[in-house]
Order: sequence, then C-alpha cells, then structure tokens
Amino acid sequence: MLPVGCSRRLVAELQGALDTCAERQRQLERDLRVSRRLLRTWEPAEIPAPEPTPGPETHEKALSPVCTPSPQDLKELELLTQALEKAVHVRKGISKAEERDKASSLKSRSIATSATTVFAPTRASQTKSPRDIRQTTMPAKGLPKPRLLSTGEQTCIGRGPQAAKTGRGLRDQQIALSTAPQAPEAFTLKEKGTLLQLPMAFRKVASQNSRLWAQLSSTQTGDSMDVTTSSKTQFLQKMQMTSGWPSTRLSAAEIEAEVGRLQKACLLLRLRMGEELTKDPTDWMQEYRCLLTLEGLQANVGQCLQRLQKLRSEVVEQQLGPRPERRLPTASLPCGGGADPIWSPQLLLYSSTQELQTLAALRLRVCMLDQQIHLEKVLMAELLPLVSTQESLGPPWLALCRAVHSLLCEGGQRFLTILRDEPAY
Amino acid sequence: MGRRRRRAAAAGALPEAIAALSRALPAGPSPETFRRAKFDRPEAAPALWQLLFRVLSPLQTDRASASLAPEAQARWVKCALLSQGYPRRGLAQLPEDGSGGSRELLLALSWLLAREPLLERLLAQTRVRLGDEMPVCECEALASPGLPGPQVEIDCPVDVRHLQWLMGKLRFRWRNLMASQQEQCALLGKIHLYTRGCHSDRSLGHLSVAETELLRDPEGGQQLLRRLQSENTRLEAALEWHRRELVFWQWMDTVLDACPPEASQPAFLPSLRGCGAAELELVARELQALHEELRAAGEARRAAWAARVGDLGPEWNAAQRAAQEAVGRELAALRQAWEQSGGLVQPHGPHRLVRTEAGVPGGPGLRAAEVIGALKSREACLEETLHQLQAQCRQQLARLAGALPGLIWIPPPRR
Repeated sequence: MLPVGCSRRLVAELQGALDTCAERQRQLERDLRVSRRLLRTWEPAEIPAPEPTPGPETHEKALSPVCTPSPQDLKELELLTQALEKAVHVRKGISKAEERDKASSLKSRSIATSATTVFAPTRASQTKSPRDIRQTTMPAKGLPKPRLLSTGEQTCIGRGPQAAKTGRGLRDQQIALSTAPQAPEAFTLKEKGTLLQLPMAFRKVASQNSRLWAQLSSTQTGDSMDVTTSSKTQFLQKMQMTSGWPSTRLSAAEIEAEVGRLQKACLLLRLRMGEELTKDPTDWMQEYRCLLTLEGLQANVGQCLQRLQKLRSEVVEQQLGPRPERRLPTASLPCGGGADPIWSPQLLLYSSTQELQTLAALRLRVCMLDQQIHLEKVLMAELLPLVSTQESLGPPWLALCRAVHSLLCEGGQRFLTILRDEPAY
Repeated sequence: MGRRRRRAAAAGALPEAIAALSRALPAGPSPETFRRAKFDRPEAAPALWQLLFRVLSPLQTDRASASLAPEAQARWVKCALLSQGYPRRGLAQLPEDGSGGSRELLLALSWLLAREPLLERLLAQTRVRLGDEMPVCECEALASPGLPGPQVEIDCPVDVRHLQWLMGKLRFRWRNLMASQQEQCALLGKIHLYTRGCHSDRSLGHLSVAETELLRDPEGGQQLLRRLQSENTRLEAALEWHRRELVFWQWMDTVLDACPPEASQPAFLPSLRGCGAAELELVARELQALHEELRAAGEARRAAWAARVGDLGPEWNAAQRAAQEAVGRELAALRQAWEQSGGLVQPHGPHRLVRTEAGVPGGPGLRAAEVIGALKSREACLEETLHQLQAQCRQQLARLAGALPGLIWIPPPRR
C-alpha cells in the first residue's frame, strides 16, 4: 500500500488525465454521429424534388406520377434498395466496396452499382464513381437555384464527357425502362452532394459574419486606435499608482509563466546536453568546443536555479494568502502565438484524407506525450523516494519495485523480472 | 464655442459608447448600471459581479457556474482578478453578498478591458463555428479543461496496482480516441469531397459538416442562422465600441479620480493555483539533476583536456577565442529559444479545414504539410524528453538494485 498523501495525489492526477480523455472522446462521438448521419441517405431541404419542367422530365413525370415522396415511399424505397443490394451481392458474389468505407457509404455505393446493374447492365463498366474524378470544374457562380435534374446535367459535364454520357445514357435507359414502378432516387451526399447549395439567407449572414470578424481583427492594428491605446495605458498606470499594493509583486499568472519558461529551459538544456555527450569529436578544436559548451550549459542551469530560488521565495510568501477553490483562468496563451491574435478563422489546406488523418493523429500524439511526460514527472517525484527509503527487502518491497520500474521505465507496458539468487550451499 | 460643441458631442457619445459595450458583452448589464456604478450605488453591484464572473470564468464552466451562489461567484472573481495581478486592494475588501462596491467592480471591469482584447476574446470563445476546424496549436486543448472534474478525494491508501490499472485505462482511452479521430477524419474527407464546388465562397469550395447539416436539418439550420445573426449583432456592437471607446476612457478617468487613493499596506497576496507550487518543485528537481550531470561531465572533460593540452602557442589563442565566441553565440540562441514566449512564428488560432484538389495549388492558407512538419519535430522532441526521463529512472533503480546482493534484475527485452 502507498502512503495516503501519495495515493491521493497520484490518483487525482491520473483521474484528471482520464477525465480529459473522456471529455475529448465524448466530443468526438458527437461529431461522429453528425458526420455518419450526413453520409447516410437523407432528404435535403434545398433541392426540390423533380417538378414538371419542359424536356425529358415531363416524360418521366407522366410515367411516374409520384414526385414528392412520402415517408412511406421512402421506407419502401429503402426496402427495395436493400433487396436490390442483396440481389447484386448474390449475383456478383464479390463486394466491390473498399474496406475503409463505413456502412453508410457502402450502402450508397451498392445502390449505384445495383442501379446500373439492374437497369443498364451494358453501361455498368463505364460508370465512374465520383471518387475517381479529380478534375472538377465548379458550377459557374450566379446560377439560378438548382433543380435537381437540370443541375444534374451541369455536374455531369463537370465530371467529364465520359461520365456525362453515362449519366445521360443511364437516364434514357431509366426512362425507357420505367414502365416498371419507379421510385424517386434517394439522396446521398456521395451521389448528389455537389448539387447542394446553401440557402441565400444563410449565405448573406455568413459572409457578413466573416466580414465583421475581419474588420474586428483589423481595428486592433489600425492607426486610429493609437489615441485610445494611450488613454487605456494611462488609465492602467493611474490605477497602479493609486493602488495600495507595491507594484513590484508578481502576479500568479506571471509566476506561472516564469515556471513555464524554466521548464522549457530545462528541456532545451537537457536535449543540448544529450547532443554534446553523444558527439564524437574528431579534432582538438571540436573537443574544445564540446567542453566549452558543456560548461556553458552548466552555467545556464546555474542561472536557472537562481531564478527558481527567487521564484520560490515569492511563492512561499504567496501561499499565505487565501486559496482559490477552483482553477483560475490563465490570461496568457501557452503556445505563445497570442501576441498578435487573428480572430477570424484562417484556412488550413489539406489535399487528401490521409494527410488529414496524419495531421490529426500527430496532434493527438503530441497531446498524449505532453500528458505522459507530466505524469512521468509526477510519478517520479512520488514513487522514487518511496522505493529508495523503504528498507525492507521482502516480497512486498520487491513487488513495489517491479511495479515502479514498469510504471516509470516502461510506460506501464512491460515488466522486469527479479530473481532471487540464493547462494548455493 | 467649438469646445462646447465638442463637449456636447462627447456627452452624447458616452451613453452610446456604453450601450455598445453592453451589447457586445455576453449578457451585458444595462447602460444604466454603469452610470450608477460611478456613484457607487449598491443596486448596481449584483449585475457587475455576475458580469465579471461570466467574463473571467472559462466557457465550459458556464453551466456549472449558473448554480454557484453569488457569494461563491464573488470569491471566484476576487481570486481570478488577484491572480492576474489586479492592483486595487479595495476589491478584496468588498462584501461578497453583493450588497455594495459597484464602483470598485466597474474599475475592475475597465482594468480588464484596458489590458487585453477582452471583447474579442469573449466573442471568439462563443464563436459560431461554421467550418470544420482543427486547432493547429495546443492553446485550445490546454484551455479547455477549465475546471477539475469532480474531485476524487480518497482518504485511504491505494495499492500500486491500482495506479497500474489506472494507467492501463488511460492507454486504452487514448487508443480509442485515436481510432475515433481517424474515423472522423475519413468521414470529413468524404463530406468535403462529395460537396466540392458547393460553397458560394470559392476559396472554401466545399461545404463543412455544419453547413451540410444545415441542409439536412432545416430547423437546426434556422437555429444556426439565429445564432449567427446574434453574433453579428455583437460583432457590430464591438466595432462600434472601438469607434467610441475613447470617451469611455476619459470618463473612467473621472471615476478613478472619485475614488480616494488607497493607503499603502502590507501585501495581502493571492496564492498560486493549487498545482503551481508542485510544478515549481518538479522543475527544481529536474534542474538540480541536470546541474549535477553537467558538472560531472564537464569536470571530467576539463581535467582530461588540461592533462593533454599543454601550451599550444599564439595561433591556438586566437582559435580559442573564436571557439569561445562561437559557443557563446550558440548558447545565447538557445537561451533566446526559451526566453521568448512563442519561439518561432507558430501558426495559431482557429483554422478552417479546406480540402484542395491534389495537384491544384490552393489559395492563401496554411498547408497541412507545414503543420505536420512542425508537429513531427515537436513529437520527436517530446519523445526524446520522455525517454530521457525513463532512462533517468532506470539509472536510479539500477543503482538501487546494484546495492542489493542476491537479486538478479532482468529487464524486459527492448523493443
């Protein structure tokens, strides 16, 4: 058993780390639910269902009178699609779905396949999945609100002549074949995502929003703010002057910042020492420089220790004050990028899903390492003295050693073996 | 004449400036509150305590804070302001039941407004996120856990196996997180690809999840629209405030004049936040260990050097000086790396993800590859640090084991 104080501190630290993780997971789950739902079949509000328009559409309408699908129809369609899907699976025997695709897109892909297989078997080989198309021309700006089928033509052109021909051909086939009862096509992002358009009202408000954010960012740097800035500075100075407290004291936030700097210093100095110690100097000059560097590093560490000493006295003094029961907000930004903050969101460009995944994975990995290092330090501070001061060499002590070794040296993943080497008699 | 007109204009401008401020603040009090606070009227105090609490507490605490008693809120405000270095002692002496002290509170709010872009920060905190965003620095990740979770207060000793179990659980959670994150990226990539060309803003090209969701769920879309509209109103108010705030600061000067100067007194100081002192001890330990290691390595080399190198003549002296200068420069650069807060210009702030077609040079914006590069070097640096710490522990434990005869320690095989 570990001492009570040590237990409390360590369990609190670990529990905090676990809670942070759990919170992130919850957030991610929320985002995942929304994204998954979007990739399934749904009915967009902004694309009206096919309406009577001149051209082949009227023809289609005449043949299939059901235009605005009721939920009942959709349900039936879903069943029909499932049946078709099954038929295709049986017929083809193999699944063309990529292994990474999740159930939702798997379904939509199969719908595409089934449609082409059932209605236009000869064209099936020509059908291109949008995934394969890299060159996309964006629909020209200022187009009227999209009608499903007319813009359908538009995107088909965007997808290259081959695909366009296929699309049109497919429709002809469908019309030809639609003596059979035809249900309206289900909407999936994958197939018709490019037809979506944001509502006008939203677009207006959103562009106003980004304009306002940009303005807000620029007012902070504008020259006209100079007078205001100086009057603010004057106000702060006057406040400081009339204050009953000595102005030299450090605020808790400043102390925290200084601790942060010392931590960073320690890390950089240690890394540099590692570099120097592994160097293999080939001549006198290099050897000499190596020596000078090590001594210089030592001097720097000495200075850091002095600063730390000063800080300590400050902290001891401050411990006498009242303790806040909650963690206080920090005004400074830990990454230090806040010197000239940009408030409006900037763009982060990525070119493939894989790149995005790499980026996200690295971000998490860095967070995880940060946490691991912190925990390692905390565990070191609590557990090492415990192991070295306990005198008993009995099995409980050995078990503790083994656990501590695993936690501190192996990230808790592997274990040391301890053999008792009984002297032979 | 001209002066009088200017003064009249200024007098008219003050209520408008204050009105803009209160519209730009989250749940800002009525402009009348500010006027009453100048005269230290007690009825203005509760609203100002509440406002300060809202302004100072991190966003996540919003819901939790609603349940906090006014006294607790006031205590929190006092601590938060003191920890940020708020200079007036008068605040600490205010009654916590909200029965007075509105002028002191007005001064505190103005102090916050004067020293940081408070409105911008608050607006950014609650910004309606239309795009799919990925933070490129750790600010948000670190800023998010505003409050420690429900405090686990254990009063009985636990076994080290309990710690091992907790560590295992943590590793498992991280693995889950990684997997979910990968899936989310895959889905995002698809949504972006499938909606390409849909955005009216050509630099964005495709829709984000929020925008697509708005089309799927028009009702939710209406809500989003309303939130966006109210954010626009606040943004406009903030811009108006910036145009008019000069007169406010002139007025605050008179408010400050109305306060008697505080008598100088021995400091009544705030404490570091709980973990601050512990943090300090950790650094102290590390620095001491480092100092020891460097001393040992340096002394050994110095002795070896002195034994081998005799007098090398005048050319050597020049070379020696050059080496000293070069090392001095290197170390100065190293020192700078930790002294300046940010180091290199690091990408920072919210970033909206935009998928570009492969091979097509995108518009202005940060490339994912750049961020990946920066993250990789940070990862390498952190990994090295962790390994060093583990090696340190290994050494210590090995020393301990070496002192014990009759025991054979077999470390697990290296991977």
